[in-house]
Amino acid sequence: MDNKDMYESKYKLAHAYVPFQVMGRVYSPDKALCKGTLFPELYMPYKYKKEKKKC
Amino acid sequence: MDTNQLKLLRKLMEIEFCLVETNLYLDTHPSDERAIRLHNTLAKELKELEYEYTTNYGPLTHQNMSRCPWEYIKGPWPWEIEYCGCD
Repeated sequence: MDNKDMYESKYKLAHAYVPFQVMGRVYSPDKALCKGTLFPELYMPYKYKKEKKKC
Repeated sequence: MDTNQLKLLRKLMEIEFCLVETNLYLDTHPSDERAIRLHNTLAKELKELEYEYTTNYGPLTHQNMSRCPWEYIKGPWPWEIEYCGCD
């Protein structure tokens, strides 16, 4: 976004926030390693075409 | 590399990863007792797995004990191991 957009756009200034995480359910270790996180609430992968990895 | 060794290495990776996660969570939630219990359970399991690995297959890291001749250089190296099982 170039500067022009920033001034007219809908973004409110200084409204960044990070809600405080409370640990709920956790993945099992094997699943956590594959998903890249222990916490389901933090699992948000970018969608991509998965190519099969040969074993 | 026999399958049990590979399974053990995989389990070690899984537990170590979870310990990184509980560590990061506990840094910002130091009095979360449930997280502390989970962390300690994983830490205990890691110690048991390390013991099982080193007694059966020799040193896992350069800081582990070794028979003679020096077993640490006995292959395969981590990057030569084909891990899979995430699909």
